[in-house]
Amino acid sequence: MSVQVVAAKMAEVELKDVPNKELSAVSPRTPIAEEKGLSNSELNASAPSPTADTAVVKGDPSPLSSTPNAVKMPQASAMKRPDPQQNGGEAFVNRDGTVAEAPRMKKIQFADQKQEFNKRPTKIGRRSLSRSISQSSTDSYSSAASYTDSSDDETSPRDKQQKNSKGNADFCIKNIKQADFGRREIEIAEQEMPALMALRKRAQGEKPLAGAKVVGCTHITAQTAVLMETLSALGAQCRWAACNIYSTQNEVAAALAEGGFSVFAWKGESEDDFWWCIDRCVNLEGWQPNMILDDGGDLTHWIYKKYPNMFKKIKGIVEESVTGVHRLYQLSKAGKLCVPAMNVNDSVTKQKFDNLYCCRESILDGLKRTTDVMFGGKQVVVCGYGEVGKGCCAALKAMGSIVYVTEIDPICALQACMDGFRLVKLNEVIRQVDIVITCTGNKNVVMRESLDRMKNGCIVCNMGHSNTEIDVASLRTPELTWERVRSQVDHVIWPDGKRIVLLAEGRLLNLSCSTVPTFVLSITATTQALALIELYNAPEGRYKQDVYLLPKKMDEYVASLHLPTFDAHLTELSDEQAKYLGLNKNGPFKPNYYRY
Amino acid sequence: MTEPGVEAKLEVKQASKEFKESENVAEKYSAMTVSKNSDVNMNVGELSAAFTAVPAHKSVKKIQFANQEDKQEFSKFPTKTGRRSLSRSISQSSTDSYSSAASYTDSSDDETSPREKTQVNSTGSSDFCVKNIKQAEFGRREIEIAEQDMSALISLRKRAQGEKPLAGAKVVGCTHITAQTAVLIETLVALGAQCRWTACNIYSTQNEVAAALAEIGVAVFAWKGESEDDFWWCIDRCVNTEGWQANMILDDGGDLTHWVYKKYPSVFKKVQGIVEESVTGVHRLYQLSKAGKLCVPAMNVNDSVTKQKFDNLYCCRESILDGLKRTTDVMFGGKQVVVCGYGEVGKGCCSALKALGAIVCVTEIDPICALQACMDGFKVVKLNEVIRQMDMVITCTGNKNVVTREQLDRMKNGCIVCNMGHSNTEIDVASLRTPELTWERVRSQVDHIIWPDGKRVILLAEGRLLNLSCSTVPSFVLSITATTQALALIELYNAPEGRYRQDVYLLPKKMDEYVASLHLPNFDAHLTELSDEQAKYMGLNKNGPFKPNYYRY
Repeated sequence: MSVQVVAAKMAEVELKDVPNKELSAVSPRTPIAEEKGLSNSELNASAPSPTADTAVVKGDPSPLSSTPNAVKMPQASAMKRPDPQQNGGEAFVNRDGTVAEAPRMKKIQFADQKQEFNKRPTKIGRRSLSRSISQSSTDSYSSAASYTDSSDDETSPRDKQQKNSKGNADFCIKNIKQADFGRREIEIAEQEMPALMALRKRAQGEKPLAGAKVVGCTHITAQTAVLMETLSALGAQCRWAACNIYSTQNEVAAALAEGGFSVFAWKGESEDDFWWCIDRCVNLEGWQPNMILDDGGDLTHWIYKKYPNMFKKIKGIVEESVTGVHRLYQLSKAGKLCVPAMNVNDSVTKQKFDNLYCCRESILDGLKRTTDVMFGGKQVVVCGYGEVGKGCCAALKAMGSIVYVTEIDPICALQACMDGFRLVKLNEVIRQVDIVITCTGNKNVVMRESLDRMKNGCIVCNMGHSNTEIDVASLRTPELTWERVRSQVDHVIWPDGKRIVLLAEGRLLNLSCSTVPTFVLSITATTQALALIELYNAPEGRYKQDVYLLPKKMDEYVASLHLPTFDAHLTELSDEQAKYLGLNKNGPFKPNYYRY
Repeated sequence: MTEPGVEAKLEVKQASKEFKESENVAEKYSAMTVSKNSDVNMNVGELSAAFTAVPAHKSVKKIQFANQEDKQEFSKFPTKTGRRSLSRSISQSSTDSYSSAASYTDSSDDETSPREKTQVNSTGSSDFCVKNIKQAEFGRREIEIAEQDMSALISLRKRAQGEKPLAGAKVVGCTHITAQTAVLIETLVALGAQCRWTACNIYSTQNEVAAALAEIGVAVFAWKGESEDDFWWCIDRCVNTEGWQANMILDDGGDLTHWVYKKYPSVFKKVQGIVEESVTGVHRLYQLSKAGKLCVPAMNVNDSVTKQKFDNLYCCRESILDGLKRTTDVMFGGKQVVVCGYGEVGKGCCSALKALGAIVCVTEIDPICALQACMDGFKVVKLNEVIRQMDMVITCTGNKNVVTREQLDRMKNGCIVCNMGHSNTEIDVASLRTPELTWERVRSQVDHIIWPDGKRVILLAEGRLLNLSCSTVPSFVLSITATTQALALIELYNAPEGRYRQDVYLLPKKMDEYVASLHLPNFDAHLTELSDEQAKYMGLNKNGPFKPNYYRY
């Protein structure tokens, strides 16, 4: 039975015009520099690194100040875009007769995207596209800074001949000798990822991935290493490359190589290195992958471009980033997707942890670390009451702050009202608030005009996405003085002496000034592993050439693997109860449209 | 009024309540079946059998009440039982205002059946059938009071009055007839529709409100305490008139749709759409649709976001405290409470109890919801692990036998047991009807059950729904439902040819958002508007919809 949601006509209009001009207007070189700066400062957030920071801040204010917007814009649009698409997948999952919301708009998404796709080599537009917005996209900002990365060795890993202790040389990393350090890192991570370890134990005998040849492209960190070793324990052969040129932990890569994994990655790859690594992963005599695990869609893209034949053997793609998912939907729409793909980004568990729970903690953490502010009695305005906004509000309310909310969506607005928050327009309260937090996903939510009217000492920060929400560029005018008081904290001083405290230059506070808990990464990794298992073991015909959401049952399994962490005891249905509810005792327990 | 009179009234009221709850079983049941898929074929089959059998008593009975006691309770009712049980929506806000359902003019002084009376309203029309047209003024006052609480509907009336989006619409409706519905009906009239109305429940009609509606010219066929036969007669009178053919149907429970479908299938040629608000009715529509027999578009308003959130999360968050206070005067601070189930209802209960300082733990079967409970700071336990030390046990699972006799035996003295979920299946009350236990009714809806050793367990509403039995449904919630219905009618009536086919649809998100926005002024809430630039950046229309359909809120 097909139940349809009526998606009003406007669908078509929705996403047509996306800023593309701005992108092309930017010269290729600057953005690269800018991006380096950005990544550095983000990566080094925990370890103070004045050089990177100041470089960005002080560097020629006029041209630089305008670039971040331009560079970041496509990323933002990429984030927005996939949304409507996902219904394609959802509609399928729901096909079995539940009330499903029918696919809405297909056309819409990639009016400009295509060009970008082909623009490749410069890597600018694209790179900015391919960082997943999902915080847990396996990039652990906390531990990404390799402590052995002293760069004492300037030889490119590509030129080195290295062998692991077993004589295997099928890898390319910075320095195989760091393997011991990496092993220690991995062991620490294992402690923090009990769910993945539990999965490893439960399925080790069964070896559900026996015969699977997984080629992966993700951030290479200790947490990913735990995932890879789990896959391997479940029977899979893995070859891995990094999905980000900066995020690789060299010693972890070394430990993996030592353990027999073919890893091609090091910190600080060049654009050319990046593609070379991916190519080495895929292009090998006598070995053809049959599963792809991707983060950002680069690997899929490469195979699609260079080795289309390979798809004949591939049973499925698991993609975890918003961008990658977006690209898959695009392929699917164009009828060019020739294998089933699994969108793990939108599984319930992952979404809740990425947004609601993660932000609920990081808003307090980020503000404390940067400003040591006391929350009790402070007047705070939170712009946007989506998952992130809900998390921020709950945390701040719990600390005794007086919280106001601004919202554009009446449903979310009503939720805010019912949760006891005053719903206001920003201008109505801007004069009296002590803290302004943006989490809308929109641009220019806090404008210069609003900034002008803030009271002295007001803290302004962004929890939403990218750096577009606060119009920081408008603050780069001669009459205002910028004073960097500590890493990630700027005082912007008006001629009359009023100061505004701007955090992370309007970039994401939760990425720049706070950490992503391993628990969240564990959820992501477990979801990925289960998606691989599901795709690999699915009977012929269950998945067609389309993009799917993780089946609810798997989603529930991810959650259940994490329950022991809380010492939570799940109740089981009795046979009689299961029958009464018309449910299987082992789930799925909810219809697909259930909102949680 | 004499003492016995009062009691009689009370009895009726209680009867009707019991009634409702037994109905809920089927409701929830069917709700489940709708959502679960083919692996529940059995239920679907049985229910569809229930649907096709015209009065459908027998087959329905079979499904719902595995539990023996229910059956007895059930058969206590005169006629009408089986069928009625299907048709009350589980949604609390299904327009039956428990708070005001007792007509205060309903002194039953007049025993003549309304069907045999000839009544004329002040404008000379006699195209209606109500208890007593003379009560119109009382009814008018009721309606005016309700209007105060339903400002959203009134503002919709004001905004769209000039436009008359329902001009030409001939709406035939079958809902509870209460002051709140009357506000809805009058809004529809103000927007240009002609309405004929009947009741979807034999007990819930407020006679004086029906009279007030008849007085202003709405053809109403309903009174409190109809018989089964009256019920169908009223529906028939609504539909079957010379020179008037309905082109819209507003239904609550699916009875009207069913009747039209059985008796006047040709009416569907002119019908532009059905708006259905109850779980049951929606379920029946899906079945029709699945069987390929649905010949007009239908709108499922039960599952709109706004309505769902208010029916469950917000409503229960308040009624759990209200219900417990009214019945037991318990103090919540520091009490140990176990809440069974962490769905929307459970989330509401937990947050309310936590806010009052209770120590709350949760039982759950669904790992995702369990994880949510963990992250919200509630200990997830199995009931058996904590049952000995709990001061209160609250069930909201939608399941049966969640609290069994064995657990009741192990509870500590003074433990309060109540049900917020559905029906009366969650607590195994039947198992407490054994000779060694003494039942003591200490006040209305509160029973002390005394064990041989003197231990007492306090059972509320005999295991039926606490929020229906011991608490009220706020008008605000009813307002949300009514506004949703009105907008669904407008949407279906004005949709361009081809937008809706012969299928069941959810309310478009834009309409859902509009319902919410109409209620914002109640909170003095100021919605921010997107600038053109921002709208473009987000790829959104400035006026919504603001979220993709799969958004979870």
